[in-house]
Amino acid sequence: MKKHHLRKNILALLAAVAVGTGLSISIAAAADLIVARAVDADSLDPDKTSTTQSLQMTNLIFDTMLTMDKNGSLHPGLASEWSVAEDGKTYTFTIRDGVKCHDGSVFDASGAKARIDRAIDPATVNPDRSLWGPITGTSVEGKVLKVSLSEPYSPFLSFLTGIQAGFVCPSAFAGADFKPIGTGPFKFVSWTRNDNLQLEANAEYQNFNPLIENPGKPHIDKLTFKVIPEAVARMAALRSGEADVVEPSLEETTDLKSDSNFKIYAAELSGQQVLAAFSWKIKPLDNPEIRKAIGMAMNRDAYANIAFEGLVNTSNCPVAPKLFATDDELCATWGAEYDPDGAKLIMENAGFTAENPLKIKIIAHKLSGWDQMHQIMQQDLAAINVQAEIETREVASHFDHMTNENERTDGAPFVWTMGMSGVDPDYLNLLWKRPGFVNMGLNEQVDAMLDEQRRLSGDARAAKIHEIEKYLIQNTYTVPLLSPGWNWLMASSAKVEGFKLGFMVSLLFNDVTLKQ
Amino acid sequence: MLFLISKRVLAACGTVIAVIMLSGTLIHLVPGDPVTAMMAQSVSATPEAMAEMRAKLGLDLPIWQQVLLYLGQVLQGDLGTTIRGNESVATLLLQRLPNTFALAVSGLGVALAIGIPLGFLAAVNRGRIADTAVMIVAVLGVSIPAFWLGLIMMQVFSLKLGWLPVAGSSWRNIILPALTLGLTYCALVARMTRSALIEVLNEDYIRTARAKGLREHEVLLVHALRPALISIVTVVGLVFAYLLGGQVIIENVFSWNGIGRLAIQAMLERDYPMIQGFIVVFAISVVIVSMLIDIVYGFLDPRMRHR
Repeated sequence: MKKHHLRKNILALLAAVAVGTGLSISIAAAADLIVARAVDADSLDPDKTSTTQSLQMTNLIFDTMLTMDKNGSLHPGLASEWSVAEDGKTYTFTIRDGVKCHDGSVFDASGAKARIDRAIDPATVNPDRSLWGPITGTSVEGKVLKVSLSEPYSPFLSFLTGIQAGFVCPSAFAGADFKPIGTGPFKFVSWTRNDNLQLEANAEYQNFNPLIENPGKPHIDKLTFKVIPEAVARMAALRSGEADVVEPSLEETTDLKSDSNFKIYAAELSGQQVLAAFSWKIKPLDNPEIRKAIGMAMNRDAYANIAFEGLVNTSNCPVAPKLFATDDELCATWGAEYDPDGAKLIMENAGFTAENPLKIKIIAHKLSGWDQMHQIMQQDLAAINVQAEIETREVASHFDHMTNENERTDGAPFVWTMGMSGVDPDYLNLLWKRPGFVNMGLNEQVDAMLDEQRRLSGDARAAKIHEIEKYLIQNTYTVPLLSPGWNWLMASSAKVEGFKLGFMVSLLFNDVTLKQ
Repeated sequence: MLFLISKRVLAACGTVIAVIMLSGTLIHLVPGDPVTAMMAQSVSATPEAMAEMRAKLGLDLPIWQQVLLYLGQVLQGDLGTTIRGNESVATLLLQRLPNTFALAVSGLGVALAIGIPLGFLAAVNRGRIADTAVMIVAVLGVSIPAFWLGLIMMQVFSLKLGWLPVAGSSWRNIILPALTLGLTYCALVARMTRSALIEVLNEDYIRTARAKGLREHEVLLVHALRPALISIVTVVGLVFAYLLGGQVIIENVFSWNGIGRLAIQAMLERDYPMIQGFIVVFAISVVIVSMLIDIVYGFLDPRMRHR
């Protein structure tokens, strides 16, 4: 009897400790899906964040005005119809009837207007403000939302399909604190920062995304995202059944590929592009021939197959595959082919021999796959008399450092690598138009071409984008390397069916079912 | 005793203020700009947008001004808001502090439960096989990195045996990280206990006790234990501080939702207010524990009360 009491007391004590320390006991139901990720969202407000990890979460809660199919064509979303005025400065959207926010309120044209007004308000300090374009005003007439721009901005419609343009319901930002209320397939339940985010299926959901088959409520009831920073622990969680879907490490992915108990997903529509760029203001890399020789020495097949374990593709364009106007075969005709012997000859003619190599730095940020790629690149360059020293930093420091490095006109020359993603080739503008991302802007000619492509549409715009790409490649301001290149892999147990990765590595769970 | 407590409290306040000012200064010497970090993945990070963001966060002010402003805020209980997410740093840290303390106390409990008996065993068997065996275990314990031990424990107990979960913050999740921390630091406890007891066992009054015919367990438990406790209490204070530090990595390995995980994330993101908040809370925790240890000394050893 005493023992029984003692046991009860111990259990009561443990329970009290658990409650007192804020610990929780979670029990998973049958239709629950648990996803383990390395990094948590930093915010669920799409106007306060720009990280892929955050936007992957907001994209589950908020719908977009338009959607995009896998060929890059636009489809309806919250707007059932849309049109663009002839001068390209006015867009009209007819907001669909019967769309409800997660709190039961109706999402209409006024709600859409309020959302856009908030996104572009300087007081919001939206890191993606410029992606919304030169909006001068919004107005509503019945179901129709009119957006006026100061000048034509062709990427606008593509942007409205992207994960940065989630349509937040007005009730989300009506109070002092933001509440994640949207019209998307999942409703927000709870969020313990850096630990877990819980969502539940939106029973009234209507899907319009052509990448998703399920027209209504997601098949799973509850979706839990756990943050497990260590790759080994995430894999242990997958193998032990504690998680159904995980972000795997590149190394583990190759093991999982050959195991029938697991599935691997590589994002094909990532919109991600990995590039090499140059300190073209510093001698001798101010010479396009030297830059071309370095590009000719880069064995991109080895980067894809060895460094990235064959889980990415080589890429020839400065813009990612599957995006508007991207034509990899056309870009291949402009770029220099892999030819280490030819590259070595160019270097020797320029006076760089084995005894007198060109000394440069490869400046990069640390990332799985990328580190190995830089090591292979170092060997590639050594073969053409270029002695490269690899300098790596954490991602934040890297971009900070590059902002200063790209302004230098003397000192040690360097090659650097970077990645960029989006749903429209307009990211060329954000990279290469002066001052450009981390000061990588080029010159007046490029600025003019980049501005012009924004004013054009259809075939004319595609032709202008090709012209810009040709200029960048033929002058070897950049060497396109691979696509995709980061956060593009997911793994699941074999019982998970219907999981998909959309544009910009959005996570699509609407079709997911769990095989018993 | 009151004198001792007042002296320690004053010293603790001074230390905390010094830590706040130092962390406010040093953190700006680390390469990397928080606004660049924030916008690293944003294609629309125009210089204007970044300058606007920097001004809003007060990062355009001179460092000394930022440090003084921060000191004033902290003294009013305000640790600022995170750069990412704009949430209260104090709230986030206080939400997770109970988890961190729960793990630290559990780890300490394991370290003491294993370390003290091992130390006793080694001391009373000085020079024999048991002593050597304990010392080998102690050297191994000090040498094995905690994160490695944690991963091995995870592979064995979670993956192979399926007894315990891999990650999370439920009560079952505390077992593996507590064992990992406990096993790592029990070596230190065992070594200190052994040294303390050996020193006491060489004292004249122990020889006298034995000469008077007292049984060995009476000599050990009644006459040797209390003097040895002073050194063991020192170890507890030390181990607790080490545990809090070592826990930053272990919380990450086992996805335990304590302040260590927040700190690592904040460091990667250059979230200055969160890093500073972590340093302040961490420093206050260590200072409080050290102060309590000093006060406990006073109870155990009356000579300490007047130093």
